[in-house]
Amino acid sequence: MYLSARVDKEKCIGCRLCITSCPEPNVFKFLPEEKLVEVNDSRCKACGLCTTVCPKDALKIS
Amino acid sequence: MKTGMLKISPGFEDIMPEEYRELVDNGPYGKNYGIGDLGSFKELLEEHPLCAGCGLALSLRLTLASLPMPEETVIVGSTGCSALAFPQVALHNIHSLFGNQNAVATGVKRALKLRFPDKEKDVVVIAGDGATADIGLDMVMQSWLRRENITTIMLDNEAYANTGGQESGMSMPGTVLNMAPTGKKFPKLSLPEIAHTSGCDYVAAVSPAKPKQLAKAVRRAILVARKIGPTYVQIFSPCPTNYKLNPKETVSVIRQREKDGLYQTKEFISEEAQAFLNTVEEKK
Repeated sequence: MYLSARVDKEKCIGCRLCITSCPEPNVFKFLPEEKLVEVNDSRCKACGLCTTVCPKDALKIS
Repeated sequence: MKTGMLKISPGFEDIMPEEYRELVDNGPYGKNYGIGDLGSFKELLEEHPLCAGCGLALSLRLTLASLPMPEETVIVGSTGCSALAFPQVALHNIHSLFGNQNAVATGVKRALKLRFPDKEKDVVVIAGDGATADIGLDMVMQSWLRRENITTIMLDNEAYANTGGQESGMSMPGTVLNMAPTGKKFPKLSLPEIAHTSGCDYVAAVSPAKPKQLAKAVRRAILVARKIGPTYVQIFSPCPTNYKLNPKETVSVIRQREKDGLYQTKEFISEEAQAFLNTVEEKK
């Protein structure tokens, strides 16, 4: 199992700050209906940049 | 490039890679997307070999997402870390010799003007700090002095990161790197001021810590280069590998540097460019 960013769906408010701070393309997908982000874990390199910008601590590397 | 050019014969659709099909169905060509729409379309960049937490990759991704007309854009690159990501970019791109990028872009722009006189074609140079400020400064400055209508974007990671970490003209004084053990002895080159005095109509120094500002600067630079004259954007993108940072610190390092006064965002706009930008931005 590889390391990847995981989203806590209860904490995520859909602010999309993580999307503009991720160096990898197409990792985060925004779900407009649920106002959540989704992680494509096969593309994530687990650098952790998204966890430092998330205002609600909804992202973790595991 | 027309979007139709991307499409493959129906018989071969099922054997094409998934990324390619996503690009055809959900790509940004002709749709005028900005960085606000990231996450809802297939990006032009695909999985690249750059390090985890790379500031340059982040800057490149945001730059590509904020191009005003990706289908009419040609990007010219040069040797360096950014060149490793170029084969994964779904745009027309040219890899030039180290430092030659602005001379090549000049030729491309002139040829496109002759071939498509009634179409807008953007030629954008995306190169590292070594290619722009050290080895290619001659070609870069000459293209500004000749007032070529091209946009020069420098991804400034303050080192020759690709070759093991030598100091570059853009490194901060006192920087110690793998291949620069005695520390750098002279100050950082202030290229935005040089660009301003060399006649660039729009000059900006931005960083990916403020993505909206970055997108605005790139968009403005390309619009001004289309109509008025040369433009220059410098994007500060720290290198976690050579500066021995934790990959997740890239953005916080930029914020810390800004707080300490060691890095400033800048913007110079000529009067002519300002008048042009006012008319363009009013329309929106």
